Amino acid sequence: MIEAIIVFSIFALLLGLVLGFSAKKFKVKGNPLVEQINSILPQTQCGQCTYAGCKPYAEAIAKGEAKINQCPPGGQEGVDALAELLNVDTLPLNEEDGETKPKHVVEIDEELCIGCTLCIQACPVDAILGASKVMTTVIASECTGCDLCIPVCPVDCIYLIDLKPSMDEYVPNMEKVTNV
Amino acid sequence: MSKHDFRGGVLIENPYPLNQLSVVEVPPPKKAIYLLKQREGASAKPKVKVGQKVKVGQVIAVSNNDYCVPMHSSISGVVSAIDDQPIAHSSGLKVPSISIESDGKDDWISLKGCGEEVDKCTPDEIIEKIRNAGIVGMGGAGFPAHVKIKGAQGAKTIIINATECDPATLCDDALMRKYPEEIIKGIEVLMYACQSQKAIIAVEEDKVDAIIKLNQTIKNKNICVEAVPIKYSTGAEKLLIKLLLDKVIPTGSFASSSGVLCQNIATVKAIYDAVVIGKPLVSRIVTVNGSALKNPSNYEVRIGSSFSDIVKKSKPSANPHEIRVGGMMMGVDVPDKNYSICKITSSIIVDEIKIKQKESACIRCSKCNEVCPINLLPQQLFWFCKSDNTKKASSYDLQDCIECGCCSYVCPSHIPLVEYFQYGKALVKKELREQELAAKSRERYEFKEFRLDRIKQERDKMMAEKKAALKAKMAKEKDNKAKIAEALKRVNDKKK
Amino acid sequence: MITGKPILNTSNLMLQVIYGLILGVALQFYFFGWGVIYQITLALITGIAAEIIFLKIRKKSIDAIKDNSAALTAILLAISIPSIAPWWIVVLGTSFAIIFGKQLYGGLGSNPLNPAMLGYAFLLISFPLEMTRWTSSFLSFGEGLNVIFSSINIDALSSATRLEEAKFALMEGEVSNPIQIDRTVWINLGFLFGGVYLFYKKVITWRIPLSFLAGIIVMSLLLMLIDSDHAMGPVFHLFHGATMLGAFFILTDPVSSSTTPRGRLIFGFLIGILVIIIRTYGSYPDGVAFAVLLLNIAVPLIDYYSKPKVFGR
Repeated sequence: MIEAIIVFSIFALLLGLVLGFSAKKFKVKGNPLVEQINSILPQTQCGQCTYAGCKPYAEAIAKGEAKINQCPPGGQEGVDALAELLNVDTLPLNEEDGETKPKHVVEIDEELCIGCTLCIQACPVDAILGASKVMTTVIASECTGCDLCIPVCPVDCIYLIDLKPSMDEYVPNMEKVTNV
Repeated sequence: MSKHDFRGGVLIENPYPLNQLSVVEVPPPKKAIYLLKQREGASAKPKVKVGQKVKVGQVIAVSNNDYCVPMHSSISGVVSAIDDQPIAHSSGLKVPSISIESDGKDDWISLKGCGEEVDKCTPDEIIEKIRNAGIVGMGGAGFPAHVKIKGAQGAKTIIINATECDPATLCDDALMRKYPEEIIKGIEVLMYACQSQKAIIAVEEDKVDAIIKLNQTIKNKNICVEAVPIKYSTGAEKLLIKLLLDKVIPTGSFASSSGVLCQNIATVKAIYDAVVIGKPLVSRIVTVNGSALKNPSNYEVRIGSSFSDIVKKSKPSANPHEIRVGGMMMGVDVPDKNYSICKITSSIIVDEIKIKQKESACIRCSKCNEVCPINLLPQQLFWFCKSDNTKKASSYDLQDCIECGCCSYVCPSHIPLVEYFQYGKALVKKELREQELAAKSRERYEFKEFRLDRIKQERDKMMAEKKAALKAKMAKEKDNKAKIAEALKRVNDKKK
Repeated sequence: MITGKPILNTSNLMLQVIYGLILGVALQFYFFGWGVIYQITLALITGIAAEIIFLKIRKKSIDAIKDNSAALTAILLAISIPSIAPWWIVVLGTSFAIIFGKQLYGGLGSNPLNPAMLGYAFLLISFPLEMTRWTSSFLSFGEGLNVIFSSINIDALSSATRLEEAKFALMEGEVSNPIQIDRTVWINLGFLFGGVYLFYKKVITWRIPLSFLAGIIVMSLLLMLIDSDHAMGPVFHLFHGATMLGAFFILTDPVSSSTTPRGRLIFGFLIGILVIIIRTYGSYPDGVAFAVLLLNIAVPLIDYYSKPKVFGR
């Protein structure tokens, strides 16, 4: 009787140690929901969702305060991806938040620019370079196309530039390929 | 004959045999267009201006990027335009270009090479010469030759790829028959530049003339000719290495990391020209054939010549044509002949218009897997690519596809499998690009938040410090006032 | 687009399979009479009609009928069922095979189960009596018509199959001679010959048929060792029932079988084992249809775990 108790106690102790050890050793780094949602959002930081940026919107979705269909740059695909992640029914993109525009960047007409720096303050990703009363320019490779700088410009010298299709980024049109 | 083999592949007879085997030399064209971007990656920047006079061999465009070689004028004349011109690429896009009108003189720059005794130059000087001559892999991939050579220093074996790779292309065959001495000398240059001891020339076994010519020319016992079976897709670098050396180059690594350098035979000829004579890459041999031509041939043409001029020499029929550039298996279809010869243009196929076979349902017969040299499962990849399922496609190793086209060739349902895979690969690339961009903007957004926060904190701190200083000052002043008042009081008291 | 020598196309592939069946069908005709021809004709008419109607309903081009897959399914089903079964059996079975086995999944290429075997299993479960009566003699032109189209009493004509006979004999404790050459053996040899033809024409590869036959041999040998009361030995199993028809014509249906090289070996071998188990211990005489359907369901799993090693990985 005593032997059985001792054997089982030792056994339980060992198993407990193994379990405890593996729980520490093989701990899955929990990817919090906010991070997962944020990784689906396009990071345009345009604020069309009525939140200050993609992360605040992700936080709002995670808390259940915002709907999943408020992100125009992400398009319907983005909404669908969010629905899949959150395991809810997908929604049509909310048109009140704006429409999905093709990928683009902005450019400043440097001759008209008066160097007011308002756009620099508006840019969510610090993609505009300049200082007070000097010419200001957009770093095209960093621009997300959020268009937040356009309304603040007092002389309307910021324009949309469509991205030129490039050989390196070419995606074939499958409708032309298939011959059914 | 090689003892080893690789799996899969297809035996394809050349549907368009040539009437004549000799190379037709085409005189310099009246106008040439040089595309400044001939493969994916960076493009060269023009170094000449419109109206400027140029000689043959003069550098007209350069780049700081090591993966982008300079471009030379192949005719003498005047720069007539710097604009965008179409490129024979499936995208149908235009790329920056330089157009030159000929003055009819064929006036060359003075050429300075190392001469026949190559060891007067150091290997580094030779590599520099190869880069300056604008040499890229001429089999079709267009990878800069000097980058490959630099990466393969001390390579044990150099493989010279003369397997043509495409059943309907015969430009390497023609080259071997015309320039055996230059090729062998070029190989010696390459062996010297890489400090390697052994070179194998891989030639398809049916190119008997070429094999005999090369064997007669070889004096160096470290160079040998190896006849390889006429199996399609042997020309793919990693497969050829497997066939000759029984070495498998792992996915994601280069042949050079296994001590092997693989160069196309036309590239070797260009290296000879560049190092021994000092002549930059301004011409190449192009196979022009197809069912619509009366007189298909191999032509030695200047880079930048127009397709239509060369095709005209082969007497095309008057009907509308289907045109394919770069081989019947791996080439691209182009809508017309308004293109110009690039360094990588190995063949132009001009066909009568055929009725395209209708694509029918995939029945998973697995014939595509049987011929796939990489041992992929095209029948599965097809579904994943068709449904934009990039995750699944990647887990079935879509990225390993070499786009050789064997699967499309044998598919009984006429499914253009390779085109589906190119689409899938482009999608994967696009997703990666978007993810990278998103990660960058996210980082920058978070940094801006952090920066604003830091500024606010600094300002708060500064304000707090100011306030404290003010308070201290006020307190001190109050203290002083009190002292003064006290003193005054004392004085007043004394007065009393 | 790839130019060059024309090669086999899908409809041609199906046609070759039908050619491969000719010898076996001719032998069936020789032993069973005109009923075989009537069954095939009925099946073809029903199958093609069902295919056309459903292509119309699904708003697809009826050009798809040219791929000959409906015809092949119909013929395979027709030669699997008894030649004296009443006409509505084959009509019902073929429609079921085409509609529920193929079109409702999205047509050719999308069906997870072998349509002909699905139709067969459906018939066998629903009408066991009609599905297990085979004629014992050659039926003339008129007799065939009579049997199939009017509900005459066919008991006089029918007999059990060799598989059933053998099973029955073993149960009674009689010693049967399994290597007796009868008509089933001849028909099996006919299909074996057709299979060799398909192999020669490169329509099928060796993997599925050979691993299936290997499965049959291994499992029947094993059963002979451990349970000799019920077992009948590999030679008997190879040439009775639908073994050869299954090996070369039914298992090799590319759409519903495994698609990887190693997967095909597993697929064929497991079916072989299942067939022997069902034949020995099951209540139905033959087990090819059920074994095929069971393994069809397992195909995604087999394919997933039998991915070939990619060059350079």
